Amino acid sequence: MKPNLSFAVILVVFCSNSIFGSASTPRDFLGIPPQDLEYFKSDVIKCRDGSNKFAKAQLNDDFCDCADGTDEPGTPACPVGKFYCQNAGHVPLLLFSSRVNDGICDCCDGSDEYDSGVNCPNTCWEAGNVAREKLKKKIATFQEGVSKRKLEIEQAKQAITKDEAELSKLKKEEEILKEVVQQLKDHKEQIEKAEEKERLEKEREEKKKKESEEKINEEHKQSTEGHVDDHHETIGELDEHSHEQEIAEIKDELAVADTDDIAEHATDDHGTAKVEADISHDTEGSASPEHEGEQDKDVNTEGLSKEELGRLVASRWTGENTEQQPKEVSEAKEEKHEENPKVDDNSHDEDDSGYSSGMDEENHKYDEDEMDGDMDDDIDQNHVDSSTYDAPYSEDHDDFSDTISDSPSWLDKIQRTARNILQAVNVFRSPVDTSDAARVRKEYDESSAKLSKLRSRISSLTQKLKQDFGPEKEFYSFYDRCFEYKENKYTYKVCPFKQASQVEGHSTTRLGNWDKVEDSYKVMLFSNGDRCWNGPDRSLKVRLRCGLKNELADVDEPSRCEYVAVLSTPALCHEEKLKELQHKLDLLNSEQPRRHEEL
Amino acid sequence: MATIRSLLLLLLFLLITSVSSWKKDEFRNCNQTPFCKRARSRNPRSCSLIAADVAIHNGDLTAKLVPKNGEPIEKPLILKLSVYKDGILRVRVDEDPNLGPPKKRFEVPDVVLEEFESTKLWLSRVLDEVVDGDEGMSSVVYLSSGFEAVVRRDPFEVYVRRKGGHRVLSMNSNGLFDFEQLREKKEGEDWAESFRSHTDSRPYGPQSISFDVSFYGANFVYGIPEHATALALSPTRGPDVEFSEPYRLFNLDVFEYLHDSPFGIYGSIPLMLSHGKGSGTNGFFWLNAAEMQIDVLGKGWDAEAGIALPSSQERIDTLWMSEAGIVDAFFFLGPEPKDVVQQYTSVTGRPSMPQHFATAYHQCRWNYRDEEDVENVDSKFDEFDIPYDVLWLDIDHTNGKRYFTWDRALFPHPEEMQKKLADKGRHMVTIVDPHIKRDDDYYIHKEATNNGYYVKDSSGRDYDGWCWPGSSSYLDVLNPEIRSWWADKFSLQNYVGSTPSLYIWNDMNEPSVFNGPEVTMPRDAQHHGGVEHREVHNAYGYYFHMATADGLLKRGEGNDRPFVLSRAFFPGSQRFGAIWTGDNTAEWEHLRVSVPMVLTLGLTGITFSGADVGGFFGNPDTELLVRWYQLGAYYPFFRAHAHHDTKRREPWLFGDHNTELMRDAIRTRYILLPYFYTLFREANTTGVPVMRPLWMEFPADEATFKNDEAFMVGDSILVQGIYTAGAKHASVYLPGGQSWYDMKTGVVYKGGVAHKLGVSDDSIPAFQKAGTIIPRKDRFRRSSTQMVNDPYTLVIALDSSLEAEGELYVDDGKSFEFGQGAYIHRRFSFKNGQVTSTNIAAPSSGKTFSSNCIIDRIILLGLPSGSKSALVEPGSHKLNIESGPLNLHARSSSKALTIRQPNVRIADDWTIKIL
Repeated sequence: MKPNLSFAVILVVFCSNSIFGSASTPRDFLGIPPQDLEYFKSDVIKCRDGSNKFAKAQLNDDFCDCADGTDEPGTPACPVGKFYCQNAGHVPLLLFSSRVNDGICDCCDGSDEYDSGVNCPNTCWEAGNVAREKLKKKIATFQEGVSKRKLEIEQAKQAITKDEAELSKLKKEEEILKEVVQQLKDHKEQIEKAEEKERLEKEREEKKKKESEEKINEEHKQSTEGHVDDHHETIGELDEHSHEQEIAEIKDELAVADTDDIAEHATDDHGTAKVEADISHDTEGSASPEHEGEQDKDVNTEGLSKEELGRLVASRWTGENTEQQPKEVSEAKEEKHEENPKVDDNSHDEDDSGYSSGMDEENHKYDEDEMDGDMDDDIDQNHVDSSTYDAPYSEDHDDFSDTISDSPSWLDKIQRTARNILQAVNVFRSPVDTSDAARVRKEYDESSAKLSKLRSRISSLTQKLKQDFGPEKEFYSFYDRCFEYKENKYTYKVCPFKQASQVEGHSTTRLGNWDKVEDSYKVMLFSNGDRCWNGPDRSLKVRLRCGLKNELADVDEPSRCEYVAVLSTPALCHEEKLKELQHKLDLLNSEQPRRHEEL
Repeated sequence: MATIRSLLLLLLFLLITSVSSWKKDEFRNCNQTPFCKRARSRNPRSCSLIAADVAIHNGDLTAKLVPKNGEPIEKPLILKLSVYKDGILRVRVDEDPNLGPPKKRFEVPDVVLEEFESTKLWLSRVLDEVVDGDEGMSSVVYLSSGFEAVVRRDPFEVYVRRKGGHRVLSMNSNGLFDFEQLREKKEGEDWAESFRSHTDSRPYGPQSISFDVSFYGANFVYGIPEHATALALSPTRGPDVEFSEPYRLFNLDVFEYLHDSPFGIYGSIPLMLSHGKGSGTNGFFWLNAAEMQIDVLGKGWDAEAGIALPSSQERIDTLWMSEAGIVDAFFFLGPEPKDVVQQYTSVTGRPSMPQHFATAYHQCRWNYRDEEDVENVDSKFDEFDIPYDVLWLDIDHTNGKRYFTWDRALFPHPEEMQKKLADKGRHMVTIVDPHIKRDDDYYIHKEATNNGYYVKDSSGRDYDGWCWPGSSSYLDVLNPEIRSWWADKFSLQNYVGSTPSLYIWNDMNEPSVFNGPEVTMPRDAQHHGGVEHREVHNAYGYYFHMATADGLLKRGEGNDRPFVLSRAFFPGSQRFGAIWTGDNTAEWEHLRVSVPMVLTLGLTGITFSGADVGGFFGNPDTELLVRWYQLGAYYPFFRAHAHHDTKRREPWLFGDHNTELMRDAIRTRYILLPYFYTLFREANTTGVPVMRPLWMEFPADEATFKNDEAFMVGDSILVQGIYTAGAKHASVYLPGGQSWYDMKTGVVYKGGVAHKLGVSDDSIPAFQKAGTIIPRKDRFRRSSTQMVNDPYTLVIALDSSLEAEGELYVDDGKSFEFGQGAYIHRRFSFKNGQVTSTNIAAPSSGKTFSSNCIIDRIILLGLPSGSKSALVEPGSHKLNIESGPLNLHARSSSKALTIRQPNVRIADDWTIKIL
């Protein structure tokens, strides 16, 4: 440890100083920043917090008189004090008093260890050089980054204008197309009505024929069953159907809950027999719901093999799953279990931001209807090696491009075709011409498909333009992009404004849906991801920093299921920050001459 | 429909939440434990044994216990009664080895100290007398001045009485003694017992022992850890008692233990203390490592039996039941609380002197994932200027839970990592558990398998259980050869990646076996020397802890104090290291129960103990976490820990204000380290714990007997925990006749009164007793290591006669040289207007320790104003007495009279006279 001898020497000096030398000068102005020197000039000095005052002789006398540390800037005597080291050649530093004379070199000029017996070499020159080099590099990055950012912003503005133009055009087209579709629909319905009429007539005729035959054959049965006519039959079927549905619903719920005597209400249906059996098994001898839960678990453990039991018990601590195929099973279970809390969460969101739930729904629609399949293919086959790629959502855009690029012609074409059909087909002709009917139906189907595509494009554009892309729209290009980072067996995918996930082989875990930006656009938050066993919903916090490429890095999980990552991007290369850095470098450089003087 | 749906969802929710609760049904209750059920159903006076052939043999009183009536069906038992220094009575009952029992019953080795054995008084004579009202004779032997041990022959009873005749402690006064002797299996008899899917073959059949013990004049009984219960043990049977399980002593890894239950958890110490206003303090200790169940019998429990008691004295009866082993029981006579602890630790050993760094703050989490994480956490402490001394690594630092290995992907440079910490005076602790991964490529497993070092199952094969690594076997640490082999694994050469600043944590040593009965090892597993696991179970963790501590001792060539934290414990564990209360939960109730739990450990010898600050399972509210830090700062063992499913909760993660509160709490501990270390030395020499129940310091103050929400740290500080959210007030009972000084404000409070005090979030109430002197170190450093040369502050709290006294013990903090006198031990006293420092160290036996540390601040509380200066002798320096800060916090504005810079050395004699 510390050599006691040297300490003793110092101590003697110090003791004689403090015991005999109340008139002697204090230990200079050690540890005081130059701008504060003035404060300590008077003979009686106030503690900054006003709690006390002290004589100049008590300044840095290694005894704490001010609880706020005013009187001991240069010694470790006050717990909350700060020690200033000049660090000529590098940047000055304010240290906690606890670092002074603790045997560990903290200031590069070694000034914090003047009394501990430890010899700290002055490393400020070297350290300063390293720092300057580092700073220069950073400045270089920022310089390039700033221009990239400007370009980015320029492009974003153009793209947004384009998007907006497209949107308004699409809306107009929608109006027109809507009308066409409506006309076709009317036409189609009229044809169908006519067809239906024909069919009914035919049926009636056939029925008449049949009835007359039946009358002859089965006269005696009429008294009992005769009132069941067509009309009644349909209603009966409907009733039965809805009844079945209800029962199915009840059964589903029972299967989920797997316990409860309430279930008896539904037992008059043949389908619940199995459920009933389960219930009676579970409720046997159980007093409280909690107890039931335990029993449920217990019953399971009895039948387990030694290894299964070991895994099961271990899982209580680890939260890991015990099954052979852990991931899928657990997630399926989790999802079921969490229906309740999730409902709560959603309602919460709604309260917060009104539109968010609607937005979610729409997002969802895309996912299910068109995106899912495309997305997987896209990532797995085309973009395995790149860390950034256009999001599958842009697929939408591509798909539409042919329709949009020559939009006047396609719209005209549809209008023209529709007009032709409408004129050519005579709805009132009887019997209906089957080829005409088919033509109308086909044309209706085609144009309404076009319409729904158009609408989905409109809604996706609206959705996009609703986002907060930053004060200068610098994050615009993030909307249609995802960033990837590979670590060991995991691939992390971050799609700003959409979602983030962790992919392992074929299983994907959602780390979160887009939540918001925080900390003046320096943090992107994804929340409400897949729930962790015994833990919170997963979430991801992405810190943004200035870099020349958009690059995801350093994904980490400091707490279970709370992920953090770093994304470097030119979008964060702010001009003001660049100026700050340049100023800092100027300061660093200005230290140099002084250092040379010392040499 | 909707209501049904919501009901179902509610039930579903309950099911989910109940998944993470205590698995009651996986543990045996008394009714499912045949020996316990039998013993509990026995009636008073059912024992028919009488003591025959009383004689003196080898300095002991011996007798044969035989049934009174007719032909003895069973063989006579041998009673042996020995007397030791300080009036300690030892009573042993076993089968007669000369009559060829099928198997030798297990006596727990390596617990009773050899030094203790050597204090045996050789009995030379027995007095026979007829005690009032008895038909037969009683044999009386001298115990100590004023006390006698009596063996009543018919019916058989052993008791201790004062010379005047008043009883103190007795055994079998209610005639519940029963001893199932080993016998050959009869035709068609089935001894096997089943619990859930597990079958215990019980090859030796029933062999349980039970008896009653009475504590005379006692108001309360205490002790027998480990249970999460109140300090004063509530009765488990009796007319006013709702049905309760007995207190169970069976070392178990209980997932999410309850905060109020007599069920057994990680450790067992069958030592019960009694305390009464009139009778003083007594103790009863049964050295037995098998499962034990203990009933505390409420008044009137025996009313139905309607039998006159042999004594009309007030008393507390207890029933002790064990599955196997022998009777090897110790009676401790006190009479003061501290005497009992001293007597008990003279049998099982004093707490070892801890490494100084280990008395500071420990930062743990399951798990600090990798070197970067370690570096980050370490640097954050510096960034926020929060001191800490030890960073811990849990199981995930290993390569697949193979202890002594590192996951090299996460920890590629373990030595460098430890060195970085060591450069800041910090230490690291890694976990080493007793289950060994059954992997043929793992050197420990290979060697253990080849040498036959594993515990065997009932069929003689290496027992194969399940723990963290999956399929695992367990070292048979009962065998000294295996312990020695294990100890060698800790050498710097063998433990690759370890450095001298690395210390060890033993977890799961109950032993925890995930697929075993009650999450532990089957009772019919076989140990060294034909010992069944049932006989040694509660001591398994103890032997493992012992072997690990021996390993660190060997590593340091006998010059470095081991630091080993263990979860399981047994009598004597105090010699090997620290104990913590296992996997608690982040709830206020768990904070609350941690106090009686730690106090009880201290009463039973294990003073170096604490609970996980913050609570292991679950996420504490910020307020709970802060309160836990404020309380935990006074635990003898102060460590924060958390489960890996919980959110990060290092002290800086909850906003500036809370960071400040937690930093203050941790700093409180660092300020008081000189005081704590002095108390650890006191424990080391006397067994008296660092953290004490109030009644230990105020044995005559009845209001303290049940109080377990406040506690004493040493004899000078009283701490009152805050156990509820949003508390604005606390009722604090300050015992005794002297006043108390609020340590934060210096405000004085009257003793013997309950005060209703305002409470703020910045600290929990703590008071310095008038008449004491506390040494502090007011400077903060990164870790305690850098504080070595910092000056001291003395806080002198004067009593009504303007006197005070305190001590300071200092040594090198790490070696054993203090054993040869290398330490400074001073007594500071304030009397007749002057402070004096005198040497109270024993004369050195070869080694010395020197320190140039000075005292640079003396704070005087309770000094009448008017004193303006002080004179330091030798040297005749005159110093001013002025008003200075009581605490050197920026936020604390309290002032106190201060002698500024006396700068007297702690190693010297000196006086300071107040003028």
